[in-house]
Amino acid sequence: MSAAPVLNPFSLFFASIFTSNILLANFLGMCSFISISKDGKSSNGLGFAVTVVLGITSAVNWAVLHFVLIPLQLEYLRYIVFIITIAATVQILEMIIDRVSQALYMSLGIFLPLITVNCAILGVSLFIDIRAYTFVQSVIYGVGSGLGWWLAIAALSAIRKKTDKSPVPAGLKGPGITMITIGFMAMAFMGFSGMLQVQ
Amino acid sequence: MSAVGTILKENLWTNNPIFMQVLGICSALAVTNLLTNTMVMTIGVTFVTAMSSLTVSLIRQFVPRKVRMIVQTLIIAFYVIIVDILLKAYAPDISRQLGPYVGLIITNCIIMGRLEAFAQSNPPLLSTWDGMTAGFGYMAVLLVIAFVRELLGFGSLFGVRIMPSGFVPWTIMVTAPSAFFLLGIIIWVGKTIMNREGAPA
Amino acid sequence: MNRQGLIYTIVFTFVVSFVFVLLLAVADQQTQARVLQNQTIARQRAILSALSLPAESVEEVQEQYAAVEQLAVEDEILYRVETGRGALVAKEFAGAGLWGTISGVIGVTEGLDRVTGIEIIDQNETPGLGARIDEEWFKRQLAGERIREGTIRVGGTGDGDYDYENGKIDAITGATRTSESMQKIIKAEIDQLEQLIGGGS
Repeated sequence: MSAAPVLNPFSLFFASIFTSNILLANFLGMCSFISISKDGKSSNGLGFAVTVVLGITSAVNWAVLHFVLIPLQLEYLRYIVFIITIAATVQILEMIIDRVSQALYMSLGIFLPLITVNCAILGVSLFIDIRAYTFVQSVIYGVGSGLGWWLAIAALSAIRKKTDKSPVPAGLKGPGITMITIGFMAMAFMGFSGMLQVQ
Repeated sequence: MSAVGTILKENLWTNNPIFMQVLGICSALAVTNLLTNTMVMTIGVTFVTAMSSLTVSLIRQFVPRKVRMIVQTLIIAFYVIIVDILLKAYAPDISRQLGPYVGLIITNCIIMGRLEAFAQSNPPLLSTWDGMTAGFGYMAVLLVIAFVRELLGFGSLFGVRIMPSGFVPWTIMVTAPSAFFLLGIIIWVGKTIMNREGAPA
Repeated sequence: MNRQGLIYTIVFTFVVSFVFVLLLAVADQQTQARVLQNQTIARQRAILSALSLPAESVEEVQEQYAAVEQLAVEDEILYRVETGRGALVAKEFAGAGLWGTISGVIGVTEGLDRVTGIEIIDQNETPGLGARIDEEWFKRQLAGERIREGTIRVGGTGDGDYDYENGKIDAITGATRTSESMQKIIKAEIDQLEQLIGGGS
């Protein structure tokens, strides 16, 4: 792995939301993205949940990687360990929310089981490992990726509300037109890369 | 049609994991910019799905219900790590290019889907076949996407230059959006053909 | 024994986890030596490439690399080799790219009048745009490029500036930031090499 990169935190945050959007540029988190984006409210709930889980798991997995796996030379087990911490984090989060607030549970808690298998969560942890981010960079990247995912799903559900009423050819209805829509969104997000300041 | 034949047809066509069930897309699209990477990735997925199906089917009588999903995830992770270790040792350049996507095979919904739907309640050999053919269905769609993306994005196939030197590569094919578009088109074609055949949409 | 009972569940999970992790540990052990060798060869190949001494196969790399001597100068490691054209020096670098660290090897003539080449080991730039710094056409521009005013200018856009006397190479169309980063990195490395070579051997 290379040395920890020297990165402007703003660039990193901006990049993780827009130009390196975990979904539109890295293709992660698609399954629930496609199914949940049919409904606007659920989309926001899921987006919020994803952001929270990503923020927490990127911090936790960074710590596990640097304080447990690397010192004990158990790096080859990172896939298993990351998944376990993700599942545990989600489980604990669900229990806490259920105790603390019913309202929060309705808006966030019910989506948590869906998140455990969301490839974006594991993907972010793996990217953090590969890119050798520092702790702060990991959290920025995690939260930013979550927000980017949330933005994407919110936008997609808004678009789908309109396309559902449009005359779409039979073969394209459903996943087909959704894919093409996502493609256009991905192109739009790529356009953000010209906006960055020089570090 | 025998069970073997039915499973093959279903996993390759009528219930193709990608364009019919729309599963396992995450790890799929990212590597389709090059045919070689796609080949390696899909062989990996097929291997993991087949071996996981085999293992789960073999121990299905012994697994307590409560820990079923955890054990399945453990088995999938085990085979994925094996693939990762093998790649790192024998094909380091490809391993680097595939990056985190090898590890992401674990969250690939196709594999868990096959284990839940088939392997945990069917005999070993048939389950292995089911896993393998699901992998093939996955492979077929991805190779088509990769074929178009590499040919038009790099002018080559499997790293061998095909297009004439005057050819200006289509940059869009190298970047993310093209994968979505191509996948949408494949879904469109697949579903249209199936609708005409009168099969349930 | 009750297959759904608590004790059985716990024991089962433990046994299964233990077996799988054990197998993985074995697989990891067996391939460790090989993975390490891969990494070493990859690094040596990059150093040779930056010195314009191409080597592909493992044997070629080991043969060519035998002529390279490793020197520790201040806190850095320099790789020096005597050739018919004079002495060449290479150094590993890690600089800030747009989205992460760009690391690689840069080679120069000992007199610091030309760059012999550059090799990219790791980068996280935008695929299809910034990531093209890893493509042959881009790197080739630097193989023998004259150093003017203590630097190589990265500017303009095109398909590759192979005029090795003008001290300039083409930037990548659509990847302004990454190209600027490359210019910064190259200048910083040349500056540092001036210091190290001047002070060292």
